[in-house]
Amino acid sequence: MTAADLGNEGVLWTWTIQSFMPKTPYHTDETPETFKPYGVGYIELACGLKVESRLRENQADQLEIGMPMKLEIITVRKDDEGSDLLTFQFCAAEEQG
Amino acid sequence: MDVAIVGLGMHPFGRTPSMTGLEQGAAAARAALADAGVDFKRMEFAYGGSQDGGNADSLVNLLGLTGLQFTNVANGCATGGSSLHGAYSAIKSGQYDIGLVVGFDKHERGAFNAKPADWGLDDWYGETGLMLTTQYFGMKIQRYMHDHGISRETLIRVAEKAFRNGSLTPTAWRQTALSWEEIENAPMVSEPLNKFMFCSPAEGGCALIVCRADIAHQFHPRPIYLKTAVVRSRNYGSFEVFSPSQPPEVAHSPTVTASQAAFELAGVGPEDIDVAQLQDTEVGAEIMHMAENGFCKHGDQEKWLAEGITEITGRLPVNTDGGCLANGEPVGASGLRQVHEICVQLRGEGGARQVADDPQVGYTHVYGAPGISGVNILAR
Repeated sequence: MTAADLGNEGVLWTWTIQSFMPKTPYHTDETPETFKPYGVGYIELACGLKVESRLRENQADQLEIGMPMKLEIITVRKDDEGSDLLTFQFCAAEEQG
Repeated sequence: MDVAIVGLGMHPFGRTPSMTGLEQGAAAARAALADAGVDFKRMEFAYGGSQDGGNADSLVNLLGLTGLQFTNVANGCATGGSSLHGAYSAIKSGQYDIGLVVGFDKHERGAFNAKPADWGLDDWYGETGLMLTTQYFGMKIQRYMHDHGISRETLIRVAEKAFRNGSLTPTAWRQTALSWEEIENAPMVSEPLNKFMFCSPAEGGCALIVCRADIAHQFHPRPIYLKTAVVRSRNYGSFEVFSPSQPPEVAHSPTVTASQAAFELAGVGPEDIDVAQLQDTEVGAEIMHMAENGFCKHGDQEKWLAEGITEITGRLPVNTDGGCLANGEPVGASGLRQVHEICVQLRGEGGARQVADDPQVGYTHVYGAPGISGVNILAR
């Protein structure tokens, strides 16, 4: 097995919006009161691989199949020692007006 | 040796707080035995399954300690399909004459909370909020609508049909027809699918008595013959639930594999099917499964739904009892409910929802995680 650089950009292949707070194993610092819907999608990379990811955009009018997307790093929650637990998500590559 | 279904039993789907899952399974089994006019003592084997309702073989404590061979089946949404396949093979081999197939379940309210480790995934996948089947269903139909020109109106039409058919089905959970506006304006769950476009986990039980075709008339005047029972798993490159990534290679879904195998084994084609049950975990699934099972071309569903071809009065009635949408999905029982309904239709016992003109050949299809599909073809 060899490492491959997948890059940090792609296009949106499909998407949905998670509109209710998931039950466990979902584990963030959110409560049902502070939960914010989040987008979920597959990003098609230049090599053809599609990666499933949370999306920063969380409204239907912000998301369209084929739109350019870029990678960003976000905090999931604080761990037991108070350090940030990080994960990846994608967001629109171009600022939306 | 051909295989016949001679007993049908159901404990109504929905919520029965006063009964455990096992008790609902036992009730369904007793109903099937009564329908076939046969005693449990006569059963030589049983296949049974339940996801959350307990161990199926514990049913012997309720049905009788006769010493029969009892095999538990755990195959997710395909549990019923795999149980029936086990029974089909047992009879077909000539080793057994008659046996029981039973499925039941009792799920908590709300979406399933799957554990990543059970699916070979790391904890981060669930903790960050990707471990939801509802997301997959939303994303698959979203892409399908984009590729094949399916409109939101067609999604609404499928839900409308499901609850209308449910209103004609005495054992259904949802027996109230819903208006276009009620469906259209329901709260969104996972774009583009809203509350009335998804089925819910539920409770219920379903059972079948299966026997050698040459003794079938001893038990029921109108046996239904199980022409073939096929279960298949996914190919590399198919788009399945709980996939952190997809390879560049694109393969068709396991439904296509199972459907093609079933038609070949049964020696019939999609044009020969008079009534069908297609897995409708949500409305998009029914739409996509119409094409994946070979009944229409991708994109033709738009026309088919608009013209009412899959209505009870149409050329190919689909989910005549309201499907999963109106019955809910007790996972262990759901695949058997599909077979139960096709047998009811082929016997001509569908009452207000009976398909006209004496249907001869029926079809059932189930799909589930992690990319499995089961197809049965049944005939008079």
